[in-house]
Amino acid sequence: MQKVVDRLVADIGTVLIGKEEQIRLALACLFARGHLLIEDLPGMGKTTLAQALARVLGLSYNRIQFTSDLLPADILGVSVYDRERSLFEFHPGPVFNQLLLADEINRTTPKTQSALLEAMAEGQVTVEGETRPLPTPFFVIATQNPVSQSGTYPLPESQLDRFLMRIELGYPDPASERLLLSGTDPRLRLVDMKPLLNPDQLLKIQQQVNLVKASESLVDYLQRLAQYTRDEAVFQSGLSPRGTLATLQCARAWALIQARQYVIPEDVQAVFPTVAGHRLRGAGEFSGHDSGLLVQRVLNAVDIL
Amino acid sequence: MIPVWQISRQGLFWLLLAFVAVIMMHADHLPRWVLAASVVAVVWRIQCYRGAWSVPGRWLKMTLLAVCVGGLLLEYGQPIGLEPMLALLVTAYMLKLLEMSHRRDAYLVVLLAFFVAALTALFDQSMVSAGYLLGCLLLVLAALVGLHHGDQPGGTLRPLKVAISLLCQALPLMVVLFLLMPRIGALWSVPIPTHKAKTGVTDSMSPGDFSQLGRSAELAFRVSFDGPIPPQRVLYWRGLVLSDFGGRTWKRTRRTSMDDGALLQWYGQSDKSWDQLIDRRGQPLNYSVVIEPTQQLWLYALDTPLPRSRGVALTRDYRLLANQPLSSKRQYQVQSWLDHSIEVGGLSRDRRAIELQWPEGYNPRTLDLAREWRDKASSDRAFIQRVLGLFNSEFIYTLQPPLLGQHSVDEFLFESKQGFCEHFAGSFVFLMRAAGIPARVLAGYQGGERHPDGYLLVRQYDAHAWTEVWLENEGWVSIDPTASVAPERIEGDVQSLLGSEEGFLADSPASLVRFRHIGWINRLRLEMEALNYHWALWVLGYDQMQSSVLTRLLGKISVWRIAIALLGTGGAVLLLIALWQWIPSRRSTTNPIDRQFILLCEHLEKQGIERKPGEGVRAFTQRAASLRPEMAELLRSFCEQFESMRYGGETPQDILLEEKLRALRRAK
Repeated sequence: MQKVVDRLVADIGTVLIGKEEQIRLALACLFARGHLLIEDLPGMGKTTLAQALARVLGLSYNRIQFTSDLLPADILGVSVYDRERSLFEFHPGPVFNQLLLADEINRTTPKTQSALLEAMAEGQVTVEGETRPLPTPFFVIATQNPVSQSGTYPLPESQLDRFLMRIELGYPDPASERLLLSGTDPRLRLVDMKPLLNPDQLLKIQQQVNLVKASESLVDYLQRLAQYTRDEAVFQSGLSPRGTLATLQCARAWALIQARQYVIPEDVQAVFPTVAGHRLRGAGEFSGHDSGLLVQRVLNAVDIL
Repeated sequence: MIPVWQISRQGLFWLLLAFVAVIMMHADHLPRWVLAASVVAVVWRIQCYRGAWSVPGRWLKMTLLAVCVGGLLLEYGQPIGLEPMLALLVTAYMLKLLEMSHRRDAYLVVLLAFFVAALTALFDQSMVSAGYLLGCLLLVLAALVGLHHGDQPGGTLRPLKVAISLLCQALPLMVVLFLLMPRIGALWSVPIPTHKAKTGVTDSMSPGDFSQLGRSAELAFRVSFDGPIPPQRVLYWRGLVLSDFGGRTWKRTRRTSMDDGALLQWYGQSDKSWDQLIDRRGQPLNYSVVIEPTQQLWLYALDTPLPRSRGVALTRDYRLLANQPLSSKRQYQVQSWLDHSIEVGGLSRDRRAIELQWPEGYNPRTLDLAREWRDKASSDRAFIQRVLGLFNSEFIYTLQPPLLGQHSVDEFLFESKQGFCEHFAGSFVFLMRAAGIPARVLAGYQGGERHPDGYLLVRQYDAHAWTEVWLENEGWVSIDPTASVAPERIEGDVQSLLGSEEGFLADSPASLVRFRHIGWINRLRLEMEALNYHWALWVLGYDQMQSSVLTRLLGKISVWRIAIALLGTGGAVLLLIALWQWIPSRRSTTNPIDRQFILLCEHLEKQGIERKPGEGVRAFTQRAASLRPEMAELLRSFCEQFESMRYGGETPQDILLEEKLRALRRAK
């Protein structure tokens, strides 16, 4: 297991240099069967990460570039009249793939966003009155630009909640950046990447995640974290039960990535900022604050014992 | 955020509730219209609270004030005394509640509430009212907390929870103050209202008085004996001697001096000029009495008593007297010699005149009868036997005798022939005096209920009147005419005799005594009774015990010792509370595995490596290892052991961690 993960991380690391932590988090998200949201400024490597993930995991993959004139049918698919057989034939859209890369999801209208988000929540789509199941596993990796940028339709809280994790990539450190500049364009290396897993292996890993043990005292700790976000005036509203469940699931996946069969508080602390960050909003004087800092504050305040 | 000056809604809610509770406590002592006005004030305030009505304007407030002051003047006339002052204070409290608009007003109302609530203790000190008072304090505290905290999440009950924890912390301090604080005599005396009719034996006796007492189950006093309780028939609790007969009513003699010595002999006093008149024989009975407040001076004891408590005197007619009116419960010790004879040597002239007196022009038929029978009788004894025989043969003992006119003894003896103890005692003494035998009426209680805990309860319906006659060579002899009419009254108890009569306990409709034939109610009643007795003995009676308790605790009572004891114990109590506050942060770590980790943290802290609150075991040990590379291996193994036991589901064995911890300590 450890070997598999290390190879995955190393492979992706060749195209996304110096972001091991984020790569591991993204893998944890996928192992925990969650959809991933990558948020950062343009040009930080969001799309590169998404593409690299799709390739090494060996999933059927498609990409949609979201624009303001994209329609739901462009994602879900449309029925076209076949004159020879004189019937309507359904042409599945890009959503019928195991991994869908939704690039710049907040550039499109809420109507189109919600078409995708329904698919993410239900694992199926309804087109022209007919419900069609999506392939398994089904992942969405969405990227978005920071909300403050122009030409964006920010995702509402309820839809942000559909993403298990939101990660930020950030600027590379100087050494990585020098390495990046001195070598060939990593994007060219993408096409050479070979799948390291097949869908069956991935499903197996996902099942193993569920077997990771979360002891009573760990659940207590998680509950205290959630309670703290609910009690403190710092947040507009506390973490929902779905939020706590998501944290636990990610912590399990994280423990598995560390090749451990039980969760320790450090696992929770590792995934908590990415899982809870987009679900919590600062209130009052904290409303403008970076939610990452607020979440760190929670982790610092709640004792693990 | 609400403005600073505004009264928070949570505070207002509890303030209103506290107001209602405090006023309810005083409902008995307040004029009806004040109560009605309070209800109006509360309703008005609730309507303001709901936003339905507005706060009263200036002119309305002025009018209300004028009306209330006028009402109080009309009600009481002169404003001196406890009740008018209480009514004034409550009115002010009510008006302030109605008027308050800023938080500072609300604080004033809270202070008023504390004060008015504390005033209850002037009227009633029973356990129930003390408990209720504590409840009121809790509500007022909740109001104060609500006012301070403003409207915070956590619901309306939150201030109450805080108040409960505050009160619980204050209770130990209260106990310390109660035990150690010296009782300072009153700096001023408050006139306690005595005009309120209080049931009990009074210093005059007219036909019908004692049957009135039969209507009440109120407690008169409790007695605990050193040893077994004597049989029912000897339990005559002498309280008053009524010698002065006015034709219808028996009264005490209003003599301020006698020709043969002082009237009173105080406990501890050496002057015993007339003590030799009493011949005490055999072993005395020792007992202690806790008497309910009567606002009177006299105390009750068995014949013939000798006081054993300070402030109690033996009177010239062999009963006990207190040094001040009984405005609260009081405890006193007595010794009694049941076997005794008094004034065998003869009566003084004064005394004889008093005990033979009767008014001219009353009860002519009885006078004739007495003289006729005495002439025929061979001795005083024979005459007495004949009179008692008359009572025994023809008379009926009842709680509801017919009313009697001017010649009450005549009417009773020759016509109605029905009566309660006072009829028998009064007419018996009158007959004796008419025949030239000195006699007098004794008033007090007879018998009592035996509590399973070994003490005796005497209630108002045990009130009784009997007689004493003076015989040549025998001295004063106690005779109870009622015993010859209704011996079961003396041998048994009033309950069984009168229980079926209409009017018995009529004034105590809710008294549990009524239901004593139902087993569990009776048990409950006796349990509550025992609780109240101990309350009276140990809490209310503590004032009298305090000096001896303090002497035993401190060796010697001095201002300095008391001050040091107060500061010491008070400080200790505060320290305990502080500890209690501090412990919860460690209490949650009762888990032995966690404790080992905490010990590790303490060990590392001494070496300057402090764990941050949110830092996990692994993160902390790794950080510590980077600072102390020589311990890295030990720390890592500790961490692994801890994690696998705490999170990995391995059987927890803190001994393993303990070993590793020991190794770590050695590594230093």
